[in-house]
Amino acid sequence: MIEARSVSFTYPRGDRMILRDVSLLVRRGAVVGLLGPNGCGKTTLLRLLSGMLTPQTGQVLLDGAPLAALTRRGIARRVAVVPQETHATFEFSVIDIVLMGRYPHLGPFELEGPADLEIARQALDATGTAHLEMRPFGSLSGGEKQRVVIAGALAQAADLMLLDEPTASLDLAYQLEAAALLRRLNRTHGTTMVVCTHDLNMAASLCDEIVLLREGAVLAHGATADTITVDNIQAAYGVAADVHFHAAAGHLAVVPIARTS
Amino acid sequence: MAAVPPRLIAAACLLLCSAGLQARPGALHRADGQVRPETSPRRIISLIPATTEMLFEMGVSDRIAGVGTFDRFPAEVSRFPRVGGLLDPNVERILSLKPDLVIVYDTQTDLIAQLGRAGLQMFRYRHQGLPDIVQTMRALGTRIGVAREADAAAGRIEARLADVRRRVEGRPRPRTLLIFGREPGSLRRIEASGGYGFLHDLLELAGGNDVLSDLRRQSVEMSTEMVLARAPEVIIELQYGDSPRRQQLDSELRVWDALPSVPAVRSKQVHLLAGDEFVVPGPRIVQAAERFARVLHPGAFK
Amino acid sequence: MPGRPDVRRRLAVSLAAFGTLALLAILLAPLVGSTPITLARVFDRSIPFADNVDAQIFFVARLPRVLAAALVGAALAMAGVVFQALLRNPLASPDTLGVSAGAALGAVLAITFNADFTLLGVTAVPLASFAGSIGALIIVYGLSAARRRGTSTLVLLLAGVTLTALLSAISAFVRYLADFTETLRTVRWLMGSLDIGAFTPIAVAAVPMGIAIAGFAMLPRILDLISMGAESAAARGVDVTRAERIALVSASLATGSAVALAGPIGFVGIVVPHLVRLLVGADHRVVLPASALFGASFLIACDLVARIVFAPTELPVGVVTALIGGPFFLWLLFRHA
Repeated sequence: MIEARSVSFTYPRGDRMILRDVSLLVRRGAVVGLLGPNGCGKTTLLRLLSGMLTPQTGQVLLDGAPLAALTRRGIARRVAVVPQETHATFEFSVIDIVLMGRYPHLGPFELEGPADLEIARQALDATGTAHLEMRPFGSLSGGEKQRVVIAGALAQAADLMLLDEPTASLDLAYQLEAAALLRRLNRTHGTTMVVCTHDLNMAASLCDEIVLLREGAVLAHGATADTITVDNIQAAYGVAADVHFHAAAGHLAVVPIARTS
Repeated sequence: MAAVPPRLIAAACLLLCSAGLQARPGALHRADGQVRPETSPRRIISLIPATTEMLFEMGVSDRIAGVGTFDRFPAEVSRFPRVGGLLDPNVERILSLKPDLVIVYDTQTDLIAQLGRAGLQMFRYRHQGLPDIVQTMRALGTRIGVAREADAAAGRIEARLADVRRRVEGRPRPRTLLIFGREPGSLRRIEASGGYGFLHDLLELAGGNDVLSDLRRQSVEMSTEMVLARAPEVIIELQYGDSPRRQQLDSELRVWDALPSVPAVRSKQVHLLAGDEFVVPGPRIVQAAERFARVLHPGAFK
Repeated sequence: MPGRPDVRRRLAVSLAAFGTLALLAILLAPLVGSTPITLARVFDRSIPFADNVDAQIFFVARLPRVLAAALVGAALAMAGVVFQALLRNPLASPDTLGVSAGAALGAVLAITFNADFTLLGVTAVPLASFAGSIGALIIVYGLSAARRRGTSTLVLLLAGVTLTALLSAISAFVRYLADFTETLRTVRWLMGSLDIGAFTPIAVAAVPMGIAIAGFAMLPRILDLISMGAESAAARGVDVTRAERIALVSASLATGSAVALAGPIGFVGIVVPHLVRLLVGADHRVVLPASALFGASFLIACDLVARIVFAPTELPVGVVTALIGGPFFLWLLFRHA
């Protein structure tokens, strides 16, 4: 569905190459996790995939078409981004926030109609936030806010959702909730997802595939069980960890033991 | 606690006493200039254009040591050193000229305190109405020791003012608006003379009926509506500096055509008068009075 | 209070309500003032205009004043809305980026150097004031264009604050050089005045304001998206750089022409957007036009108070907007804290 081909990237005025000749193919309907230590380039890769940044070498292709050839609106109709944190400057209500997701589908002066309102409400339903519709966004808890933002991304009716650290600022309970929600959305809507995270256990529970990055290059890429291994974690993070399948949780569990580097 | 050695106490006392002595050189010093000095001042500094002109009028210009920045009359003032004015008096300059009398504005409290600490004699000038001008002249003359000359000069002023008053007596007094500023080229931000102050007094003396008499302020910002409502029969605009050029005069007066219902505009009684005798409440107010009277009652000066 | 989700209905109701308010203000304000006039006399054709005092008070003194108040109030309110969204800061105002300081410097220079010319029916001081505001805009625009992608609006805010401080310092220095008359004129100008006394300067000011409104018309939904963050707006398809530039130029043109016409009038640009948001919600498609209409009404009302409370003399209109806006602003701060 989306592919990065040999992309390299350095920030302007930067001295270090953040990503070096990275290639990645994400199949339609997959949930792919981008993992790696700080500075490995995973967030930059996510921003290249969303079209926010342009690679210095290589290109990003969306269903075979280069991103550079598409308009911002065109990309927005197919790719939705869920940022790590959302802060509303003004007192928008929850439904206002979700309706903003309809922007790429409307004309420049077109107002949202009943159809758009219906889509927004369905998105709220899907994320279990329908009861919050008229509440001011700023009054919600962290978990509720994140679910609303995901609803907004859903309302955008995009095939691909890019999420940057979706559970980083959430309480434990909300972390589980958010991960469960994303899994459910992937199954019911078929939304392709690329999730950037440093939470190994969450990635293990949510993602089918893992891309492990280190210092701007792909260290390993494959199915979750094949990629989250003791050796890979050692190589990527410099940490000796215990990796085993946790029966009660139903996915791999990673327990860091000691630093090795 | 150790006892302080007596020698140290004695030394401290001496220091304090001498310091105290240094602060008061003149036995009869008072900062308000009310006490008669021992000698008549020979080195006078005047920060105020009005008092500078008064000094010339009284014939004591040879005793001037320094003048204010805005003093322009008579031409001889240019040869005196300048020491600043109302907003920016230069204390160092004043002190360096070693004056024995400094004429200051009553409102310059900081300056007065500073000069007082330096032990200087001062004459405090208050800017008020027309009668105060001759009063100030007499008081200043007395202070300097030339009471006779001051009285004579004051008398001359009073006589000429009385002459103007006599000429216009009995004539109908036109409703007059006196303006001392506005945005050039438009009628915005008109600053008019209110019913208080020497300009108002001059206007009334010259036979005008000030339309803003009821507003007891020296300056009033007038809106367009106010001009229309007060409907003056004569409008006098004051300009400082040099005489306005002929074409500038015409274009400036044409601005008033926007208000055709004002009687002054309809009967072409809008006058532009230039000259700083209108801003200096000194001996030249007689010229100001005469010019006002000539505008308001040309028939009285045939 | 967030509004109901149906934006069409909200827009229709708000425009009807605020539009009616503005219309009433424009129609009624010229009838009220320190001098009693009667409509009958104003429109009495039998009296030649040159003799009709009531008509002159209505058409020369009051009507331009009310129109100027409407135009300036609308311009400042809209500029306030746009700057608050652009800078993602509810405390931003039309003065934040230095445009007003530039306008003030232009006026102070014209007054101190006794500039005396008239162009297109507009005198030197408003022209110089507008030029000053454009100068400040060029500086701020240059700074924003030099920003690399990813720099936050914090840089723009700080640049604006610094520019304001710098221009104010230069202005203070120029005033120091001025003589007493010029200082008095400057002080009066800085207090703001809607007593234009003619229609031409208003018509001329309407030109840059019209351009600004054309810019504003492109922005409302985009302002919603940008206020949530530049990256999330871009991810939804907004050309953020272009939108920010249009917002900056339009809001600066509106502010510059308002200050050039009437001098600096504070609090309109910061209080009106907040009041309107309290009433209609945060959707800029409703807030922007509603703020224009409410800003017009608000300033007409403040000017009315200014000219009748101490009749026959007048308060500067900026004092009235401050007395009303100041306490409201304090209350806003407490509410946010």
